[in-house]
Parts: sequence; C-alpha cells; structure tokens
Amino acid sequence: MSTIFAPASFLKSAIAATLLSSTAILATAHAADFRLGVRADALTIDPIASSDNSSIWLELQVYDQLVRPSKDGSKLEPAIAESWTISPDGKEFTFKLRPEAKFSDGQPVTAADVAFSLQRAAGEKSEWARFFKPITSYQVVDDHTIVMKLDKPFTPILNNLALFSASILPAKLVQQQGDKFFEHPIGSGPFVLKSWTRGQGEELTKNPNYWEKNKPSIDAVSIEVVPEDNSRVLKLKAGELDAITDVPYNQAANLKTDADIDVHAAPVFRVDLVQLNTTKKPFDNESVRQALNYALDKEAIVKGILRGNAKPTTSSIPVMAYHNEKLKPYPVDLAKAKELLAKGGVPDGFKTSMLVAAGDVTARQVASAIQASLRKVGVEVALQTIEDSSQFSTTKSGNYEMSLSYATSDTIDPDQLVGFTAVNPERANAFHTQWKSDRVNQLYADERQTPDGPERAKQFQEIEAVVHEQAPFIFLYTPNSAYANRKNVSGFEVVPTANYVLKDVVVK
Amino acid sequence: MNLLFFCISRLLQLVPVLLGITIVAFLLLRVMPGDPATLMLGSRGTPEDIAALTSQLGLDRPLWQQYLSFLGDIARGSFGRSIAYKAEIGPLLIARLWPTLALVGLSTVIAVLMTIPLAMYTAVRRNGAVDHAVKFFFVTAMAMPPFWLGVLLVLPLAIAVPIFPVSGYGQDWLDKLHHLALPAFIIALGTAALTIRSLRSSIIAVLGADYVDTARAKGLPERSVLRRHVFRNSLTSTISVLAVHTSWVIGGTVVIETVFGIPGLGSLLVASISARDYPMVQGLTVTFAVLVVVINLLADIAYSIVDPRVSLS
Repeated sequence: MSTIFAPASFLKSAIAATLLSSTAILATAHAADFRLGVRADALTIDPIASSDNSSIWLELQVYDQLVRPSKDGSKLEPAIAESWTISPDGKEFTFKLRPEAKFSDGQPVTAADVAFSLQRAAGEKSEWARFFKPITSYQVVDDHTIVMKLDKPFTPILNNLALFSASILPAKLVQQQGDKFFEHPIGSGPFVLKSWTRGQGEELTKNPNYWEKNKPSIDAVSIEVVPEDNSRVLKLKAGELDAITDVPYNQAANLKTDADIDVHAAPVFRVDLVQLNTTKKPFDNESVRQALNYALDKEAIVKGILRGNAKPTTSSIPVMAYHNEKLKPYPVDLAKAKELLAKGGVPDGFKTSMLVAAGDVTARQVASAIQASLRKVGVEVALQTIEDSSQFSTTKSGNYEMSLSYATSDTIDPDQLVGFTAVNPERANAFHTQWKSDRVNQLYADERQTPDGPERAKQFQEIEAVVHEQAPFIFLYTPNSAYANRKNVSGFEVVPTANYVLKDVVVK
Repeated sequence: MNLLFFCISRLLQLVPVLLGITIVAFLLLRVMPGDPATLMLGSRGTPEDIAALTSQLGLDRPLWQQYLSFLGDIARGSFGRSIAYKAEIGPLLIARLWPTLALVGLSTVIAVLMTIPLAMYTAVRRNGAVDHAVKFFFVTAMAMPPFWLGVLLVLPLAIAVPIFPVSGYGQDWLDKLHHLALPAFIIALGTAALTIRSLRSSIIAVLGADYVDTARAKGLPERSVLRRHVFRNSLTSTISVLAVHTSWVIGGTVVIETVFGIPGLGSLLVASISARDYPMVQGLTVTFAVLVVVINLLADIAYSIVDPRVSLS
C-alpha cells in the first residue's frame, strides 16, 4: 500500500509546511514516553474478577505476584518472594519476601498482604477460587515470611501463584475501601495506573518504588485502544504509536518492508485444533479420527494462510514445559488415511459439518482449507459459521460434529491445558469431545501430586502420547503472536503467556 | 408553553414503546445460545464454578423476576451493574454517549452544509455537468462500504499527508474535533447522498408551483425567489429523510467507530452482545430508543419552525 502513495511523498513536505501551524496547535502534547496500541480495552482491574486478556495484561503492569514466569516461559523465577522452599512431602510452602518490595504508595509489602490477597483470590467473590483452594492455611511468621499448608500435595499450586489472579494487594487499603479501591488501585508492579478512559485507554506512570533495580526504564506509558487491525498498523506507520500488538499476518510481511519498523513473531501457548464429537458416528472410531489427521495438510495451511507464522502440533498441548519431543505431527498420507477410513467402516468417506467462528477471518480461511483437504479422502464437510460467543456453548451442549477452535494456557505448566483438553470427566470433558481415557485420567491425578522433576515429565509425556495416538481432535498448529514496534524502541516483548512486558522497554 | 406541553406528551408516549422494546431486547438475549458465566470462565470453569457464578449474577432466577428487577432498576434511575465491567452501567454508558453524539451531530452538520448549496445548485442547473458529477460522486460514495472508505481516506489524508490523525478520540474539544472530522465526513457522505437527492427533487417540484411564477411575475429577483419561496417550502420532506437517516446512523456508527477507534455506543453494544452482558445490552437498547424518539421530536419541532401551518398538537 505504501508504494501506491509513494509518489505523493514529494507533496508531503510542501503541504506539511503550509499546514505546520495548524497541526502544531491541533496535536496535543503526548507526555508518554511510550505509546502502545492494543486491540481491546480492559474491563476491570480487579485481579480476581478478570477473565479477558486485556484486563489481565493491564493488571500484570500494575500488580506483582510472589513468583513469575521467566520470559521464555520455561520456569518460574522470584518476584515479590526472593526465595521459597517446599517441604519434602510437598504439603508446606515457605516464602521469603523481598524486604525492599514496596507498594507504589511507599508502604512495604508484608506477609499479611500476601495472606489477605491469596485468601481473597480463593474466596467466594473470586472467579479463580479453584486455583487457590488447595491451600488450606496461611501462617504469617514475620513481616517477610509466610508459610502455606496444603492438605495433600498439589504441584500446580506454585504456577497458580504466578497467575495475575494471585496479585498481591495492600490488605489495609482494600479492606478500608472495598470495591472503590479499584478506582485508584495501588500495587507493587512496575507501573501505576494514572488514568483510565474507558474504551480509549490508560495512562501509566513508573512506580518509583518498584523492587527491580533501574526498572522500568521509561517514565510513562500510554496504552491506546485501536480496535481495527488496519488502523493499528497505520497508526504505527504514521508514528502515532510506538508499538502495537496483534498485527494481522497479512500485514506483517508488508510492515517488514518499512525501514522504521521491526516486526516480531512470538510463540505463545496456544493450540488450534478441530474438536471431534466422539459421541457421534463415525467420530467414535479411533481409526477414523486418525485418518482425518493423516488427510490434512497442515504445512500448506501454515504456509498459505498463516504465512509461516505457526508450527504444526502433535497433540492438544503446545510446546511448553515437559513437552514430548519424540512425537511428530501426523504427516500427510492420503493412502494411509483411506486405509484407516476403510478400517473404521467408512471406506468411501462420509458427510459431516464443522462449526467456524464467524468473526474470525483466519479461522474461516483455515476452515475452507480443511474442507478442501478432507474432500480428497471423500469426507464432505459443510461449514457452519457461528457467532463467536455461541461456539463454546454449542460444543459444550454436544450439538456438533466437528468444530474449529483453539485453547490457550494462562500458566507455564501443562496441567491447565491437559485438564481442559484431555481429561474426562473434568471441567470441559476433554474440550467437549467427550473422549475418555482412563489412563490419562490416572496420569492427571498422579501428575498433580508428583513434585516437579523427571517423573512428572514422564507423566505429561505419556499423556501427550495417548492424546496424539487416540486423536480426539484434528491437531493443527500453534500460532505465533505477531507484534511490531518502531526502530527507536527496544525491549518491547510479547511473552509465551501472550501478555506484553513493558518494564524493559527503552525508547531512544 | 405549547412547545413544552408537546415535548412532555411525546415523551410520555415513549413509555409504552420502551416497555415493548425492553421486553423484546430482554427475551432475544436469553434466546441466544451462550451465557455470561460460561463465557467468563471459559476453559477454567468447572460446572460447579459456572453454576455458582450464574447464581451470583442472579441469572438463575425465573425470567419474570429478572425482568421485574430490571424494570425496578430503571425506576430507580439506574440500569444496574454490568456483568463484564463489574461496575454501575450509568457512568459507563454516559462516557460512551458523548463520542457517539458528537460524531452523529458533527456528521449531520457537515451533511447539511453540503446538502443546501449542492441541492440548490443542481436543482436550478438541472442535468448540467455539475448535476451529473454530484450524482455520480455521492452514489459512488454511498455504494462504498464505510470501512473501505475510511481506509481509503486515511491513506492519503493521515499517512501520506498527515493532516488528520489515523484514529482515536483526542483529549480536549479542539483535539476531539480534529479526530472526529474524517469519520464524521464519511458518515456525512452517506447522509448527504440521500438528502441532496431529496432536497433537489423537492426544489424542482416547488419551482413549478404557481406561487413561484407569481413571485417572479411581481418582479422579485431570482435570488430572493429561491431563498424565500422555493427553499423554505422544499424543506419538509428533507427534514424527515434526515431524521430517519440520523436515527439509523446512531445505531449504525459501529463500523466507523471501530475503524477510527472512537469509544462510542455502537462498539460498546457489539462488545456487550459478544460478552452476553445482559444488563448492559438492555441499558443500551433503552438508550438507543430514547435517542431515536428525541431525534424525531426535534424533527417535528423543525417542521413547525419551517412551516407555520404545522402545529405542535
């Protein structure tokens, strides 16, 4: 697009000169050092009442947690807690808080604040209570030491403490102010929420009391909500923004040609897949499900539609901790697919339907590609577009045959996605496929009580292998999250949990 | 006095209309698959979590009870609490109301400013080059989807030559005007396409009337014939076209709001429907209904000013 208007650039300086006076008055001074364009606005800044990404990502700028994921998402590192120990039976966690950690109002972060915040997160009003309920008692030893006890070992708990919903709040202020606290929230994270205009964005300023030395490097950030993908790209090009998230793939290549802009692709913990309703024929048959996996050309979809911004997956778990390296994605093998269809009793293929989210352009393109691929083995798929918010409820009610969807992880531990996509009965009955493996259920129960280490790794790897083999889904790919910044910005990053990190941003 | 009485009686007539609208909006939302608790908890919720949240939101009560408590909230001058924002709906809604009103108001002003001279000129110089050019230009503009037109204008006017901002809503009122100019112009193109045609044909009809011949015969200069006798008498039908179209624009700004990142009511409505934020959608529906009635009220008042024969009773 830039080439079309390139000839106009000679006009640019001339007209700009004449307009200089007017634009100088009209453009209000932006105090922020760094302007970030995002797709959607946050809804709330109460960590126990958030389930949308925009709210979660904002909260991670303002609040801090005991522990946090490393930037590559491979392990946990100290945050407010400078160290911790776990008793050999896995039922007692002792955290030592940083003495230098302070809230943005200058008050120290104490063990009492931690106990209050986590009890609140496990309380009645919390949408995340299940994540913290395994902790049955909190013992404040001194201002900087807290002991948490569990009735039985629950290994994922440490990862849950790194969730935004486990943010540490100042107990006194929240108790005094109630819900009003969140109008002017105070946290111990790298930034302070200075102002928030609903639907438009937020102004953040540096928390002068942040515990990490010399961070953040910038004094102020403005987060601007620009819902339209093209507008966000255009604003970055025009220099009205310094960085943007959610760059559409079809724009990423174009944006790379801009000499002032860096485009990045971050691998995130997300898997795209096709749910197969295993209560319906012929999806109750394992061979048929495998056949569909062999029939699909994932590489072609990744190259053609996602422009290389994805990697084919082996199961419903993306590449994260404890990943099973031995598994390979199902290759395209039409002969094998036909053989398996015959074995499953449908040698000539069959007719079926697939739900696709109406508002997702990429999903609609991928669905057409799946349709074309499966036609080659005689499987006729009728695409059924469905309003995005109805899709989950529809698959949950069991009223579907195939559904193109995805799953994401909030934590860096595979426990969450295993529980969601592979275990039945559990909260989603293997992501609404109703597929059931007693072996996976057993391994899931074991994994949650096994301390982190090689044994837990084996359990997860076996779960992945079973899911891969029995194929309750057509496994597709794990996509990258594309983001971009102007060249004078460094340190802006989207991490595997899909949130952005602002504390390391430097603007030259 | 007459005017005040008229306004009050019209607003009272609104009550049964609103009741009907609330019932339809209320029931339609509940018929849609998907519920707020499931959407909020998504992959994280066990059936027990979802049931607990549903009951916490009061959505497990019988429908008639939920409807009555919604009416009770309105009677107390509140729309209740938003499920998605977890806050009072009133202030959230009002914050979004101003951008929409500013956008619609500005676009209407621009449309009127384009309509009057162009309609007069093309009516008088019928079938001339300008007439054809205007017709071609506005039909083309109307046929283009607004999001496409938006991007098409942003490229030259905000990127190549940065006169206007690419998107956003701005800080003080001058900055806001600067931000709203381009989107308002795009909406105005659609409005003007209709009003120019409507006003042009009324003017042509009025030009053939006997009293126009009389005015000319008594020696009035053409300029004041047009202004005093023709223009004023051709306005009524255009006012109703403008009123109907503006009512439509109020609910239809969502595309432009999204393209230009203006935090208005339209985008809030779409987001709230997606989140199944029942109280918010109900509050918005009532707000839209009130706005449409107010616009029609303003149109009626404008009739009576333009044409003294129209009385407000």
